Amino acid sequence: MLASIALRNLARNRRRTLLSLLIVGMGAASMLLVIGFVRQSFVGLGEAIIEGGVGHFEIAPVLGDDDDDGEGAIAGGGAPPSLVDWQEIRSAVENRPHVRAAGATIQFAGVVTNGDRSAAFLGVAVETEREPLMGMKVRVRRGSNLAATPPAEGDDRALLGVGLARALAAEPGDVVTLLVATADGSLNALDVTVDGVFTTGFEEMDNRILKTHLMTAQRALSTDAVTSLVVRLDDTAFTAAAVSDLEDVRHQSSQPLDVRDWKARAPFYGQVRALYTGIFVFLGIVVAALVALSSANTLLMSVLERIRELGTLLAIGTSRSQLARLLLFEALWLAALGVVAGSAVGIALVVIINQLGIEMPPPPAAVDPIELSLMVIPTDLAWIAAFMTLILVLAAVAPMWKVFRVRIVEALGHV
Amino acid sequence: MTVADPPLLEARRLRKSYRQGKVVVEALSGVDLAIGAREFVVIAGISGSGKSTLLHLLGGLDQPDQGEVLFAGTDLAARTESERTELRRRQIGFVFQAFNLVPVLSAYENVEYGLWLGGVAKDERRQRVVAALEAVGLAERMSHRPDHLSGGERQRVALARALVQEPRVILADEPTASLDSRTSGEMLHLLLELNATRGATFVFATHDSALVAHAPRVVHLVDGRIVDDLARR
Repeated sequence: MLASIALRNLARNRRRTLLSLLIVGMGAASMLLVIGFVRQSFVGLGEAIIEGGVGHFEIAPVLGDDDDDGEGAIAGGGAPPSLVDWQEIRSAVENRPHVRAAGATIQFAGVVTNGDRSAAFLGVAVETEREPLMGMKVRVRRGSNLAATPPAEGDDRALLGVGLARALAAEPGDVVTLLVATADGSLNALDVTVDGVFTTGFEEMDNRILKTHLMTAQRALSTDAVTSLVVRLDDTAFTAAAVSDLEDVRHQSSQPLDVRDWKARAPFYGQVRALYTGIFVFLGIVVAALVALSSANTLLMSVLERIRELGTLLAIGTSRSQLARLLLFEALWLAALGVVAGSAVGIALVVIINQLGIEMPPPPAAVDPIELSLMVIPTDLAWIAAFMTLILVLAAVAPMWKVFRVRIVEALGHV
Repeated sequence: MTVADPPLLEARRLRKSYRQGKVVVEALSGVDLAIGAREFVVIAGISGSGKSTLLHLLGGLDQPDQGEVLFAGTDLAARTESERTELRRRQIGFVFQAFNLVPVLSAYENVEYGLWLGGVAKDERRQRVVAALEAVGLAERMSHRPDHLSGGERQRVALARALVQEPRVILADEPTASLDSRTSGEMLHLLLELNATRGATFVFATHDSALVAHAPRVVHLVDGRIVDDLARR
């Protein structure tokens, strides 16, 4: 009965109630949109990082203090150590559930020159024939991607990052020379043809990155070893489970292994996530303050306008806690109606925005603009409903406090 | 009330004052009053004489500065707030000058509300609400909201709301003041009839001399003191 009375009480001053519902609804809708944007940004950024070559996780030898002197390293100059039994590890890993494929990589560093200009590079060598299997995507800006088949000796190829190509004034078809230190400390040079210019999506990386085939890097470094295995799953959601499922692989390996997931390998993701989360929390505080103030005003005015009625209810045997519950029900109705209306509007806006294909500026330090796309899941609606309910309950505290303090006789005499 | 019957309601040396700004107004100045079961008592006096204050104290809506109010022999001040709330819910019915109905509830729901508070089952609630509204002659208007009822009808709903609990006492504060003379005469007739048929004690405050003339017992209050207590048999 209290719930019914509470709903009818809200209908007394419809204009004021509608204004409160509008604010609660707008708050819910705006939170839905922001959550949808932030979620899509996180997912989109994460998948872009994974598809861009980072994979879901990487298996590599533990980099210990002993490796500082380069012992066991695949190349000179403090390069990472080699992964000894990588083919056995790959076989074991690729038999795991949800593993799409694993590709061997070499990470190395050196200097690239075209005779006129030179620049330091960070090299990533991959098994190009496995890239389609792993679902890796390369964003080629000029020229073409590396061929899937391993290059013949003397016909080595490479992709240059946009910034690195700019620094060298190199274009597809040009020949550049890679200068690297081999594992035994000697200097080696290898001519490669630039197949294309690509972007990782991140400006800083584009200034240094050079991508080539695994065999090209092995020829340059005079080795047949690799530094790590990059593993791609069929779904990012299984990353943590897949990583923790590698204990037996670690035990069976002849060397200590380090398994790092894509978040650990791409700290940039964490920084963007922290930035967006901060923005979202700030917006949430603003929305909460607006909704709380508006609703508290509505509920308090409602109490003050019917103080004599509340005195009457107390006089005829209503307890103060029952009256407080009546006000709580009014707050809960505001929350429920506002959230339902706001969510409906929010979902409609999500659908419309997703169809419009609006282009947004690139995130901090990123290169490409992103399409404004929103992702909403049912739990978002539940969280927003819970959040709004909490805010409305807090807004009802002042009116409830008033009810607990009112003197019946004074309330009955209130005009 | 006979000598052997203990009073149902008793006020002993009641004092109550209010502060209005810097001025202290003494509403009651040592009131002694005993009201027996099934009595019909009118507390008469001009505005400001202390009638409403006395009713509020008798009904446990307020606490006296001094003195005590006994309900069925028990001091109201000795009860907790929740016990006083329970007492008002089950044993004391209130009727107010301005009706004080809940505007968003129908006549039926206004009467039903107290029974719902008391945890009465729905079927029993329906029986008792219909009976109470029939007793005040409003069975045909039970689905109407207060703003669709006349003043007299609203006061009947308020009376039904008090009656439906089958209280031992009904306290009415100027119950006819907002009614025209014909309707207030009908209301007095109804109150007297219900007093005779229901056996509840009726205490109501009024300054309407026409109503005072028909009351079996009239207590006159002047400046917070009882100056006359006249019982007509």
